[in-house]
Amino acid sequence: MFFHIVLERNMQLHPRHFGRNLREHIISKLMKDVEGTCSGRHGFVVAITSVENIGKGLIRDGTGFVTFPVKYQCVVFRPFKGEILEAVVSMVNKMGFFAEAGPVQIFVSNHLIPDDMEFQSGDMPNYTTSDGSVKIQKDSEVRLKIIGTRVDATEIDKNISQSRPKWDPAGSHPSRFFCIGTIKDDFLGVINDPTTI
Amino acid sequence: MSLATDSPVNSSSSDDLAAFLDAELDSNSLGSSPEKEAEDKDEDEESIDEEAENEEARDDKDLERIKRRKTQIVETIQERPGPTSLGNLEEKTDMLYCAEVSLGTDNCPHPGSLGGMCYRCGKRLEEESGVTFSYICKGLRLGNDEIDRLRNTDMKHLLRHRKLYLILDLDHTLLNSTLLLHLTPEEDYLKSQADSLQDVSKGSLFMLAFMNMMTKLRPFVHTFLKEASEMFEMYIYTMGDRPYALEMAKLLDPSREYFNARVISRDDGTQRHQKGLDVVLGQESAVLILDDTENAWTKHRDNLILMERYHFFASSCRQFGYHCQSLSQLRSDESELEGALASVLKVLKRIHNIFFDELANDLAGRDVRQVLKMVRGEVLKGCKLVFSHVFPTKFPADTHYLWKMAEQLGATCSIELDPSVTHVVSTDARTEKSRWAAKEAKFLVDPRWIETANFLWQRQPEENFPVQQTKPEENFHAKQMKDQ
Repeated sequence: MFFHIVLERNMQLHPRHFGRNLREHIISKLMKDVEGTCSGRHGFVVAITSVENIGKGLIRDGTGFVTFPVKYQCVVFRPFKGEILEAVVSMVNKMGFFAEAGPVQIFVSNHLIPDDMEFQSGDMPNYTTSDGSVKIQKDSEVRLKIIGTRVDATEIDKNISQSRPKWDPAGSHPSRFFCIGTIKDDFLGVINDPTTI
Repeated sequence: MSLATDSPVNSSSSDDLAAFLDAELDSNSLGSSPEKEAEDKDEDEESIDEEAENEEARDDKDLERIKRRKTQIVETIQERPGPTSLGNLEEKTDMLYCAEVSLGTDNCPHPGSLGGMCYRCGKRLEEESGVTFSYICKGLRLGNDEIDRLRNTDMKHLLRHRKLYLILDLDHTLLNSTLLLHLTPEEDYLKSQADSLQDVSKGSLFMLAFMNMMTKLRPFVHTFLKEASEMFEMYIYTMGDRPYALEMAKLLDPSREYFNARVISRDDGTQRHQKGLDVVLGQESAVLILDDTENAWTKHRDNLILMERYHFFASSCRQFGYHCQSLSQLRSDESELEGALASVLKVLKRIHNIFFDELANDLAGRDVRQVLKMVRGEVLKGCKLVFSHVFPTKFPADTHYLWKMAEQLGATCSIELDPSVTHVVSTDARTEKSRWAAKEAKFLVDPRWIETANFLWQRQPEENFPVQQTKPEENFHAKQMKDQ
């Protein structure tokens, strides 16, 4: 779920930036440092919308660096247990499928896939109903419910997402949200079949 | 495509029963819900470990509660197949009511976990039990029941597609790798002959500078993989580490159609110097293994097809103690159409054929190990062997590996000479038994005749394996033999 919250951060600035463009430097450094990162408490910072207040700078003893407390408003994204999300399927195997909702990765095991859907292996592994009407394969969009979440302070598993995703250009913060989901309840499942228009 | 009409939950089929039970349980549930509400108020809103049950109970919408209960009831009906006549509905209702309440307090059997969370109920698991399957997805652990269940479903699925399982070793079986610093000066010419890494489907010699290695694929390997993939679901199982295993998989299978995620490295095995089928999601009765090292598979010898080692680089020969010229130094290579992979492919086709077409009993009861034994036993059928100057004196002959190998290949072995003997296996042409063989016009062969038959799965022409008149020199195929 998305939230628009106020966060605070202490930005350290090198003296070479002191001058006319001090404020711009602080804001650009803030954006570079914070956008795309993830914390366990707030989730992913998607974008900074505005800077509320930049406090008085404090010179650090011993170095020339100055610390500015910056209050800013930003949009964050964090998955919650019980939440219903739409996600795009990224990988299907016999244990279930992986789906991604932006930076959040969700695993739906085959226990929580409706019983009438069976796994078909092959070139494009998929789950299909017995009459072939509903199919879950890579790039399908599904609506699922999250039943468990966890912050993972490890590297992104390269097997799942090959390229660096758009939301993490700097690749700075190695933590991720990982969730377990289900599509076994009412109104959950495939929203959009990629093979039909 | 739409969700409302194609509701995946099976409630549409058992709506009536569920509605009936709903009415029954409605009278009972009013007692339990106030307790749940009291608990909820104490919990922190943002706590991740809350039960979904509690969150929904906090909602004052009765509709949602009933729907949730309905879903759970439907699920429990699935789990308890049995007569649904109205007669025992009374007891069943009670049983289901208990099940419903306990499902709320997590009756989930936790079949497996991903990242520390059970993937069936989402609960954070404190102790991690079961076998790790990191090669499928990182952080995946499966409990034993789940592994059995998966093995069974996978087995049925594969048998329907007429496929068995094939586990392939990498080093010395499908390819040969060497570190760049182990290359001898005579092998430097290889550096200029390396194939491009952009299109690996036609190449066989690759320079992997980022790993400081060079890899040579065994001749015939591309055809082998293509044809074997039609009969088998293939796994790579190597004693190398995971990055190495994944790189080699990329060379052998760039489009990920043969192995996909089924690449098992030593980091995935449960025991340190042993390979095991416990990390393979397939029934042991349908698995065949291709490996050059027998000792790695002590628990699964019956599934193993031993391969002749592929020594392309000089460092590989040194590693095993051979002092002869390697294939790279001789600027030659194993024959493509008559090499080890081609012969093994023929054997695999034969086994596959027998398993699916010739075995009479029920598909689930067939065992590929039996077929393997049978095919192996046909190689030297009809031969009766006597060994001379092969075992040390006073050695119990029937425990020697050559004796056992010959028996597995279908030959009968004996210690004494008699007219029914067909072959004398010897290392010295001057012994009494050897001279007897020459006199009686029996075949006199070197022990390598048995070993070659074992690798090529065919009885070899005996004239290619004459016994040396003098002490035999060490050669490529010699294993550790006790000469006396």
